[in-house]
Amino acid sequence: MSLKNILENWSHYRRGIEQGGHHKYEHMWGMALDLNKCIGCNACSVACYAENNLAVVGHDRFAKNQVMHWLRIERYWDEPDLDKVSDSTSQYQEHGASFLPMMCQQCNAATCEPVCPVAATYHTPDGLNAQVYNRCIGSRYCSNNCPYRLRYFNWFSFYESSWPAPLHLQLNPDLTVRDKGVMEKCTFCVQRIRVAKDKAKMENRKVVDGEFQTSCQQSCPTTAIVFGDMLDPESKVSTLWRTHQVELGKTKQAKQNRELRGYRVFEALNTEPKVMYMERVREV
Amino acid sequence: MSGIEINRRDFLKVMGWSGAGVALAACDMPSTVTLEEGKEEVTAYILPEEYVIPGIGVYYASTCQQCSAGCGIHGRVREGRVLKFEGNPDAKINYGKLCQMGQGGVQAHYNPDRITKPLVRKGGALVEASWDEALGLIKQHVGPESALSGDKFAWVTGTVSGHQAVLLQAHLEAMGSGNHFVHEVINNAVGQAVNSDMLGETQPTYRFDEARVIVSFGADFLGTWMSPVHFATQYAKFREAPRGILVQIEPKMTLTGANADLWLAVRPGTEGVLALGLANTLLVKHKRDASVLPAEVQEMIARYDLDTVQRITGVTGDRIVKVAGWLDSQSPSLVLAGGTAEGQEHGYETAAAVMLLNIILGNVGRTIVSSGDLPYAQMGPKSGNNQALLNFAETVEKGGLEAVFFYNTNPVYTAPSFLKLTDKLNSVPFKVAFAQFPDETAMRADVVLPIHSPYEDWGTHVAAYNGTQIGVQQPLMEPLNPTTHGFGDLLLEMLKLRKAETYGGFADYYAYLKQAISALPVELAQPARLHDAQWQQALQTGLIPVQRSARAISAKALAVNLPDYTQNGQYPYHLVPSPRLGLWDGRHANIPWLQEAPDQISKVVWDSWAEMHPATAQKLGVTQGDVVTITSDQGAVEAKVYIYKGIHPDAIAVPLGQGHEKEFSRYAKDRGVNPLKVLSPVRDAKTGELALYGTRVQIAKAGRHEKLVKMGGSEIQVGRKLVATVTADVFRRTEGGQDVA
Repeated sequence: MSLKNILENWSHYRRGIEQGGHHKYEHMWGMALDLNKCIGCNACSVACYAENNLAVVGHDRFAKNQVMHWLRIERYWDEPDLDKVSDSTSQYQEHGASFLPMMCQQCNAATCEPVCPVAATYHTPDGLNAQVYNRCIGSRYCSNNCPYRLRYFNWFSFYESSWPAPLHLQLNPDLTVRDKGVMEKCTFCVQRIRVAKDKAKMENRKVVDGEFQTSCQQSCPTTAIVFGDMLDPESKVSTLWRTHQVELGKTKQAKQNRELRGYRVFEALNTEPKVMYMERVREV
Repeated sequence: MSGIEINRRDFLKVMGWSGAGVALAACDMPSTVTLEEGKEEVTAYILPEEYVIPGIGVYYASTCQQCSAGCGIHGRVREGRVLKFEGNPDAKINYGKLCQMGQGGVQAHYNPDRITKPLVRKGGALVEASWDEALGLIKQHVGPESALSGDKFAWVTGTVSGHQAVLLQAHLEAMGSGNHFVHEVINNAVGQAVNSDMLGETQPTYRFDEARVIVSFGADFLGTWMSPVHFATQYAKFREAPRGILVQIEPKMTLTGANADLWLAVRPGTEGVLALGLANTLLVKHKRDASVLPAEVQEMIARYDLDTVQRITGVTGDRIVKVAGWLDSQSPSLVLAGGTAEGQEHGYETAAAVMLLNIILGNVGRTIVSSGDLPYAQMGPKSGNNQALLNFAETVEKGGLEAVFFYNTNPVYTAPSFLKLTDKLNSVPFKVAFAQFPDETAMRADVVLPIHSPYEDWGTHVAAYNGTQIGVQQPLMEPLNPTTHGFGDLLLEMLKLRKAETYGGFADYYAYLKQAISALPVELAQPARLHDAQWQQALQTGLIPVQRSARAISAKALAVNLPDYTQNGQYPYHLVPSPRLGLWDGRHANIPWLQEAPDQISKVVWDSWAEMHPATAQKLGVTQGDVVTITSDQGAVEAKVYIYKGIHPDAIAVPLGQGHEKEFSRYAKDRGVNPLKVLSPVRDAKTGELALYGTRVQIAKAGRHEKLVKMGGSEIQVGRKLVATVTADVFRRTEGGQDVA
């Protein structure tokens, strides 16, 4: 992005997300996650460790919040006052738990991107919030600005301790092992996207909806995760967003039917996340 | 086999196919693999190496061995290394899905603490030895010259099936021994005994997808019950519009409980009373037809009116009425018993009381249907339980056991201390462990034979639940360590010691399996003729379809006899040693991903903890992170407290999986406690199964406080819309099913 380019196309670069933003997208990978189906089992999270060379940090580093899980399952209880009983609250969590799988939301107006002093995190023509590891200098501004707390910093050279031989033989050669001082996060399995795009290009065709899956999606025992290209109006993920009347490019959703379950976490922050959740359901 | 005279019936038996005739679907020739074009295809591993192209992942089909559910997997292999497991989409157990334990299989395979050399005990210590020396010792102790035979010999294993079970049985027969102890901590033995008596079938099939209401008494079908991935795929259908209702009744919230529409905390051991209370409400309030029950059963149910049931179970009447109302109005339903409901002194009676609900509601034949019979009984699963462990300990104590072989089980770790198994095993002169890891049992053996990981080895598997396909286990890569051997190969070697005339012709287990599978679907006029297409198909798909013969299912209502609840003054609390989808019974404590994966409920990592209700915590004066001492009549364990409202105030739950000895794994060393050690000798009165949840304990402050390391800061959403919840009415209005009653 040269200065000349910026000056000549100033009005284009000033377009906000409601005008479609300034990006020219080839794909826009997005997700829909059904909390009616998610059972909080952790299969997606461990599948992510296996696919993406995530370091195991151990008990003591976990205690210092230095864990590297790109996809974590948050669990919330309905009943407040966990450690006491009173007349005003129920004695039991009668409606079970609330599970929320959280991975990078791949925001189209990502708050992490503009603060990076070296443009290590930027938006790709695939609509992905990319992290360039060898450009990252570890300022951690992006992490500080992520409202979802989904960026993970390598405080150590985990390759020294996380894969004692022969565990290292399991590492996925399609992506790197990150070193100390580098920020990392969920990539929507960009290495799988890469393979699918290359294959489609070789066969002179477009990427077909469903021809590849993210690692978390593939593992999910209840098929709660749907992934695909939101520029393809026929894709499953586009259909779900449309059905639930959640639209990209809206700072406030104008739902015809307020009862539809689709929502985005912290939508009011206008980060334009590309992960739509569908609300949890309970009989009573 | 060439040159060996053998008749057809014997041949079928040797090959594992004897049973009710041929019942196999026709198989086509596999399609050609086109790796040259850069496509990623599922192929048979025996294809030539020129198919291996650097940079291209190739998928090989096999069967997951992380628990005994038998999910089909595809292993992704690049440059000769297996990198990741995915579910096999053609497998009817898991339909392409895989749980976290399955994902962790690669870390079991590449585990840095695997045993790679044979070990033999010399001067009290285990030292590395050659295979010749180790096998020589075995030949000396159990070979034909040893004169060892009969019940002086025993096998102790985990659940086995397929051709390994066939050969294992053949070995026992060759030894003249009937001692096969099949041990699994997490099992469904009591429920299966009830199924057998009341339905005439040990393991029927449940139609979660057909049910409109599921009421589960302690059966953690999404987490630890029989075939969790399969049940989760069924559960997803159950939750689609019009969306069924799930009620979970248990003393400690399981993963299934965490997903329930209504989770009811029941006083431990009173689940059966609650089931009869529901039956009573259905018969009296909803006028359900009682004629399906014999008069004595009707009289028994009549005793459990709402007041009695409230008093015994601690569940309020309005909840009982609500659940009964759902069961009455939504049909068909499915009522299950498992886990905490069954693991009691009266576990059988409890499961039987639960089954009565299915009979009253007409579920038998609708959501509980016959699984049919496996045509090859020889290959059927020998499912493990804890009774086998008790029986093994008794057999050892009685004396006379001279040689014991251990495989895929770790009884020294899982045995409660009242069995004194560690000491008693000293009296067995010759113990052999076929082991992948230096676990507690292997470390007490006299000879340790290092075996291949399941993902380097051959085998076949038939699942105890939904065994409609035989799962083929094939190596996903060359053995990591040249000095480990396949379990099947070793088993064959053991057989050759005694029955060379029958098994001597097979060079190895691969040759045996290849001939067995090749010979499978056809009339066996020429036993030695290979049917290569059948073999190729099995390797390519990882699955061999079987047609289970049809069977009728019928219900027989039995009267049950449930005790009133009794307090125990000295030990006022109930210990719930809770299994986890993750570390399971402790076997996965050496997998770093699973240690770091937070427990689904408490979100604690790398540790043991004790779950406690806030009312109990208040009474004891403890807060989160305080260490408590939990003491039974058999000993004590210490753990940090996690306080929440997903547990009954009379119960304290300590998860299974930790508390290993230091040799087992660098990842399990000095981590937590093993609650199985303090279990009391309480057995289910009817079946003799160990009552896993029948131990009473007292709790005392240990006077220490430690940080409970867990994921996440806030336990509640504090007003943010992180997980929003809508009612099922809204869901049905917007997503279909509103017309359904």
